[in-house]
Amino acid sequence: MAVPTRFATPAFTAPASGADKDRTVQQTDMDALVSRCSAVSMGYLSDPFAELFLDTLTAKDRRYPLINRGTYVRTTALDKLVESFLSQPSKSMKQIVSLGAGSDTRFFRFASNRAIPFVYHEFDFPRVTIRKIQAIQKHTELSSLLSRFRNVESATEFSDTNLQIDVMSGSLHSSHYHIHPIDLRTLKPGTSLPTGIDPTLPTLFISECCLIYLLPSEADDIFRWITTSFGQAPETGSNSVGIVLYEPIGGDDSFGKVMIRNLSQRGIVLRTLQRYSTLERQMERMRVLGFKSGMGACDVNYIHDNWIDAEERERIDKLELLDEREEWVLLAKHYCIAWGWLENGSPFDDADCLAFRQWSDIPLQQS
Amino acid sequence: MSDLDKAIEQLRQCRPIPELQVREICFKAREILIEEANVQIVDAPVTICGDIHGQFHDLMELFRVGGDCPDTNYLFMGDFVDRGFYSLESFLLLLCLKVRYPDRITLIRGNHESRQITTVYGFYDECIRKYGSANVWRYCCDVFDYLALGALVIGAGTSVQPTRSADGEDVETKVREAEDEVEIEVIGLGGVVTRQMLRREAGMINSTNLTPSALPHLSSSGPAGPLLTGIPGTGASGNSRGIATPNNAPANTGGAVLCVHGGLSPLIDSVDKIRLLDRKQEVPHDGAMCDLLWSDPEEIDGWGLSPRGAGFLFGSDIVKQFNHLNNLTLIARAHQLVMEGFKEMFDSSIVTVWSAPNYCYRCGNVAAILELGEDNSNAVLRSGGEEVLFNRENTRRLASTYMGGSMKRGGPGRRYRVFEAAAQDSRGMPSKKPMPYYFL
Repeated sequence: MAVPTRFATPAFTAPASGADKDRTVQQTDMDALVSRCSAVSMGYLSDPFAELFLDTLTAKDRRYPLINRGTYVRTTALDKLVESFLSQPSKSMKQIVSLGAGSDTRFFRFASNRAIPFVYHEFDFPRVTIRKIQAIQKHTELSSLLSRFRNVESATEFSDTNLQIDVMSGSLHSSHYHIHPIDLRTLKPGTSLPTGIDPTLPTLFISECCLIYLLPSEADDIFRWITTSFGQAPETGSNSVGIVLYEPIGGDDSFGKVMIRNLSQRGIVLRTLQRYSTLERQMERMRVLGFKSGMGACDVNYIHDNWIDAEERERIDKLELLDEREEWVLLAKHYCIAWGWLENGSPFDDADCLAFRQWSDIPLQQS
Repeated sequence: MSDLDKAIEQLRQCRPIPELQVREICFKAREILIEEANVQIVDAPVTICGDIHGQFHDLMELFRVGGDCPDTNYLFMGDFVDRGFYSLESFLLLLCLKVRYPDRITLIRGNHESRQITTVYGFYDECIRKYGSANVWRYCCDVFDYLALGALVIGAGTSVQPTRSADGEDVETKVREAEDEVEIEVIGLGGVVTRQMLRREAGMINSTNLTPSALPHLSSSGPAGPLLTGIPGTGASGNSRGIATPNNAPANTGGAVLCVHGGLSPLIDSVDKIRLLDRKQEVPHDGAMCDLLWSDPEEIDGWGLSPRGAGFLFGSDIVKQFNHLNNLTLIARAHQLVMEGFKEMFDSSIVTVWSAPNYCYRCGNVAAILELGEDNSNAVLRSGGEEVLFNRENTRRLASTYMGGSMKRGGPGRRYRVFEAAAQDSRGMPSKKPMPYYFL
């Protein structure tokens, strides 16, 4: 009988080979997926797609209330930033690139809710993308959404793209949704762009607990690749690219030290944590690596207290007793959402049409 | 050796006992608990402990730090189960000790001693995992319903007794050997004695020869307040603050201390009202009994809504009025994680004691227990603030903090012993151990 443990996947000794280390990082995706399903089943999130990605070997598990709440805040906060990017009026199609997307359902959730089309790309290890593509093929709820925008849209270069799936290599291409089997560590300034990506579109990158597992130099290279290759439309003179990160911060205090020790026992190393350990450092990272137009960072505790409206908070508070109040604050202060953007409007466009205009209105946490 | 002693021995090894024996012990425990009042009267000296949460090896560390039961008189303020990996062994050990030494250990109910909460926070799952059925969980829950809602510690002195034998052999043997000379030894990293505090023969001290100026190395000891000495009421204290006798309590009586897991309730204005409750039931979702187990003190005026979804927040004015009306000098409670192990609030009218170090194997906090001495004890040393820091076994820290009973508004003398989580290797946890969850 499978008994829920409320704890993460059993640990194993730190793996030796590089491939094993990669696998450990890939398994964090299953952890996140189980948490997402838990938050959905408890009513925090509405996401009919999450459990379709659970494989038969992974047991559903109910997480503790504070984990459910954290999953809720993380998803809701990222959605808010994505939504404000997508909802800005624009002449060109919006493009989203999710780094280390794993079994994330954001494309499906947004595609099922929106009238205006967008293009969505996901990058991950082939082992992960193969699994995802198999799930998409298996469930019509997922595959039917791949053609979601085909009839609405006729003018874009993607509209006539037929569905192309290569399960062996783990790639999927459709008119608006692409899965790329890519090792993120190969991305650096000068790297050629993967199939179907249009560097001239206003583009938003997402990294949800992803870049933190890379070496600081590798993570920085990806930032530079993004800020030098994307969002530039020479014919209009506009330039529009942004990134949003969700990752741990604050490894210097006793909670952080225990976190680092516990995760390293699972073979998980938070490689950029030390370099980008505070909200200030996260914002500096944005500035230095090219997202010069604007940047922000808030910890999850702040977001929980300030970004969720009263009505929604009341709904969440009623779902489960949150007995772990102090622990929640402690945990939530050790995760942040950080964002930055680089945008210059074309001389012909209204400033209100800037893709990241709404981001500059987000109130920042005073530290 | 009786079956009960064998069960205690087995549980001390962190090994579960057979289901039938659990049933028997739970039955006996209920017979004892049913005789206890909603607010059990406990005589000082007593060592008060906060949340344990199934952290069995840290509970063993607590006994090493505070002394074994029955040598030390213990009062546990609930939340024995949930969250940690060994709720079953932790609770059953405490329960066996209760059955074996009913007058030397008091267990009161925490909000986790509830059917509903244990199904969410792990104890139910643990019982299923370890026994294959919910029977043991049911036996334990039936015991929960009989646990007292609070305790009233009476006869606490304004000062704490000298350090007793715990197990800190290195430190405390020295203390005992040199008892006439040494009150406290302060040992820094590596077990090196970094500070000693002189103690004259018990009862012989007076303010003229034991003052901060007579002990310059003490008076300069960081945040510690002035050293108040002498038996209150004798004039030997040399300072009016030293003889504070709140509520006309006899000299050197620290007054009564109410112990409760969570805090106060807007429906309860007197200890007597707690006595009127019918406690033998599952913890309700609201009402007085729920509030006692769920509420938290907060820097507010009056009452506030609790973010926990049960119980209330209560401010300084509520505590002070309650203490005044009920002749209490202190409320001791648990329920909230405190990174430093204990936290006094509202001019020392209420204290939070937290006894689960590195809570959930994740939080990185230290734990504390609170020792209240008995009145007319021969201990006469009193001061405020953080006083001493022991370090035993090189890697672990045991800080013992004396809080002067009369530094601010009276109250009992209290010694906080602060301790860290048991070393990982002493846990004997299986190599494939589950990990606390992080967002990944």
